Amino acid sequence: MNAIDTAIRAAAASITVKGLTKAYDPQTVVIPPMDVELKAGEFTVVLGPSGCGKSTLLQMIAGLERVSGGKILIGAREVQDLEPKHRGCAMVFQNYALYPHMSVFENMAYSLKVAGMAKAERAERVAAVAKMLGLADYLHRKPGQLSGGQRQRVAIGRAIVREPGVLLFDEPLSNLDAQLRHDMRIELADLHRRIGATTVFVTHDQVEAMTLADRILILNKGRIEQFDTPKAIYHHPASVFVAKFIGAPPMNILPVTGDGSALRLADGQVVANAPLTGAYQLGIRPEDIVVDGKADGHAVKAALRFREDLGSHSVLAVDLGGSIVRIATPFGADIADRLELLLNFPTSRLHLFDAATGRAIPGAFGAQ
Amino acid sequence: MTSESTLFSNRWLPILLVAPFMLLIVLFFYVPIFQAFYWSFFLEQPFGGGSMFVGFDNFARVLSDREFWQAGWRTIIFMVTASSLAVLIPLILAVAADRKIRLSLPARNVLVWPKGVAGASIGVVFAFIFNPFVGILAPLNSISPGIWAPGLDGLDAFITLIAAHVWGGIPFNFVILLAGLQSIPRTMHQAAAMDGAGPWRRIFDVQLPLIMPQLFLTLVLEFTESVTSAFALIDTITKGGPGGATTLLVYKIYVDGFSGYDLSGASTQTAILMVFVILLTAAQFLFLGRRINYER
Amino acid sequence: MIENARSLNITASIILLIGMVYISGPLYLTLTTASHSYEFMLRNGLAWYPGDQLLANMARVFTETRIPIQMLNSLLVALGNAAATCILSFLSAYAIVYFRVRWAGFAFALILATIMLPLEIRVITTYQVASNIFSPLNALLDVTGLNGLVAQVFGAPVHLEWSVLNTHFGLIAPLVAHGTGTFLFRQFFRTLPTDLFKAARMDGAGPIRFMFDILLPLSRTSFAALFVLTFLSGWTQYLWPLVGASTPDMQTAVVGLARLVPDAEGTVPDFPMIMAGAVIVSLVPLLMIALLQRYLVQGLVLSEK
Repeated sequence: MNAIDTAIRAAAASITVKGLTKAYDPQTVVIPPMDVELKAGEFTVVLGPSGCGKSTLLQMIAGLERVSGGKILIGAREVQDLEPKHRGCAMVFQNYALYPHMSVFENMAYSLKVAGMAKAERAERVAAVAKMLGLADYLHRKPGQLSGGQRQRVAIGRAIVREPGVLLFDEPLSNLDAQLRHDMRIELADLHRRIGATTVFVTHDQVEAMTLADRILILNKGRIEQFDTPKAIYHHPASVFVAKFIGAPPMNILPVTGDGSALRLADGQVVANAPLTGAYQLGIRPEDIVVDGKADGHAVKAALRFREDLGSHSVLAVDLGGSIVRIATPFGADIADRLELLLNFPTSRLHLFDAATGRAIPGAFGAQ
Repeated sequence: MTSESTLFSNRWLPILLVAPFMLLIVLFFYVPIFQAFYWSFFLEQPFGGGSMFVGFDNFARVLSDREFWQAGWRTIIFMVTASSLAVLIPLILAVAADRKIRLSLPARNVLVWPKGVAGASIGVVFAFIFNPFVGILAPLNSISPGIWAPGLDGLDAFITLIAAHVWGGIPFNFVILLAGLQSIPRTMHQAAAMDGAGPWRRIFDVQLPLIMPQLFLTLVLEFTESVTSAFALIDTITKGGPGGATTLLVYKIYVDGFSGYDLSGASTQTAILMVFVILLTAAQFLFLGRRINYER
Repeated sequence: MIENARSLNITASIILLIGMVYISGPLYLTLTTASHSYEFMLRNGLAWYPGDQLLANMARVFTETRIPIQMLNSLLVALGNAAATCILSFLSAYAIVYFRVRWAGFAFALILATIMLPLEIRVITTYQVASNIFSPLNALLDVTGLNGLVAQVFGAPVHLEWSVLNTHFGLIAPLVAHGTGTFLFRQFFRTLPTDLFKAARMDGAGPIRFMFDILLPLSRTSFAALFVLTFLSGWTQYLWPLVGASTPDMQTAVVGLARLVPDAEGTVPDFPMIMAGAVIVSLVPLLMIALLQRYLVQGLVLSEK
């Protein structure tokens, strides 16, 4: 661990958002009042579909967008009215946003120069960060002469060279190809483990969220759907929205009706026993459905529509009472020529959601 | 900018940045325009006696002047013929230069040269080349005297002006139209070829429709350009002659104002010309501009 | 593509050939005529091949006319026009694009409107303003009644006078009052990624630093394109220098060249010397085009939408 790691770890600050709102005019409210607290040193991924307000939230923390109301605290300081440079945040942008006319060194040193740091100290600081990121040999190059991964590293280097209390990422991996994205993900996780900066990472990619985050903040239309660890979000989604957003293929959601003793599908088949009445939405993950088993619960009949063989497993698309249900199964080619399957939905794996609000109803099937 | 609120929020700095340029524009653009309209309602008293409000008298005087109407008609005729040629010829050249042939590169080079030759210079040169005694068409006159006489025949003088105007207008229009042609994606040609359209046919079915925005732009700018660039050519080639046959409105305004010292008359004509140009531009945008906005 | 486009390619080649002859023909004839003696031209008319009098004719231009000093005026006007347009356009476009001001759209519209009515149309009253650039101020004081007040207090109304006619400033300033440059820079600024601006803000750069450290270096090509464009435009102006300067020593070379042709009808003018003058006057801009063609083409393309 060198000096810069220690400095950043020491600078890491919590972020507290109180009643934060953003509206361009009374009709277009991007973020309704929001309260959330991100702990110092924590890696938070803000996840959501495009237009959910996640970038706006990030830019408001950075000071690039005005807040319409509420407070943002970094550490104990109220920052919502401060200029970006006074907030102690650094940011990595989607397209890197490196200054094309400056060398790698100048790019990384620019913020230090603006801040009036002495030349020798600047060089020392940049050299330390460059060494940490494996950029020492490229300092004299222009961004145009670098590969995508190298540019990414320069963008990160430019951000951490200031030893910021908060490190912000705005979909930084979305323009990389699949292989490089995978590598950079590992690099980012490793970097965070080393420097321990408070990190807010915005993305629409659930894999990035699951692999990088200490906690995931899922946004939908500016509202927080769920804020929890990746594991909790996967296994206990708080709403239909979260359930469908996390997991590939996503969780199956089926409309069911309770008759007081059992939950029935639209075509009348019973999928589970429960003392419920009224309409609900039933969720089950593709890998939790048992094909041809005799586990607890009831077996339901489904017609096979498609089968995608992915090598390690297959994804089946079946017609169940008019809805398409996806099943991830290790079963092989023998399913190919069968038209009808018997499915079991293990009760312990079922998720029940309110039909109207889409919110989860915890404990509907006993302890989970 | 994605959002207004990301911008700098200084109050006085932007004013300071725009102020010098704005001052210049107000002083040498808006004040002269205002004054032209002002003087068209006032009569300048001789011997510095100030100005006198005369209502629409100046307009009545100008509009009842046969020479004004003639100059006006000549302006329109020149505008229509000269500017359509000054767009059509570069268009044909641009379509030709867009092909991958050996001459394309040298042509792209040569065709921008006129940008470096002043209208007045080319006027002097064309006055010489089309000189009836020693010029390029002089041999015609030795066969049958009087066939080519720009000094006597108004039509010949007019043709000389147009030839010079088109010559000077080629670079801009050629470059814009060629850039438009080259921005057509290659796949568009390939798709049309797969649909069975040959290279000749594609000119009319793919290339021309897709460069309509550029074509429209060059035409709009060319209309204004032809009204104004004509001055240097007229002053160096024909001096408005013979017998006023090439006296366009810009030239008449200049003569009335600077030789005739008729400030009010010249201003009134300026005001009318300005309204005409503005209406013409607006009309072009209304009737032509609306139809050719392709999203690409 | 595998395609038989022979007929089209041959036609295109012929068209380009004709176009190149149309453009270069007059220039060639200028050069050949400039290289013959006056007597030769009187005898043979147009010269189709070069002669040996080019240098002699050019020397006559330098000794017998004011073109040498007028070339200096042209250079000053062209450089002044280019430099002033570049700087003022850059600053105003910067203010319009990067600052949150309510009047940005209005200011841009005011600037852009200048493209519609060229100097040639408004020359009469522009001349009036140039003959006393304080006249709008005087008129303003008169109209608002302030001058009456001043007259009562100080005994005489304010009447300032400053004519910029026959000065280099006066030759340049009306040419600069033109919106193309602002439009060009605005278009360029809008192609720059927003994140670049945000990154600079995160790095702590304020408006001045952002302008000098980021925007200016990135705009180099646009500057070059606009510079070439406005230099050529300044050099080739005719009507404004014609009326804006009344003494031969203040006029520009293009005006001087046009003055070489005698007004009197009847005699055949000394075309070889005039053509030599045309060659000299066009040499600087043509050289510029030859060397900086890339920027010229870019400037022309950028100045449209």
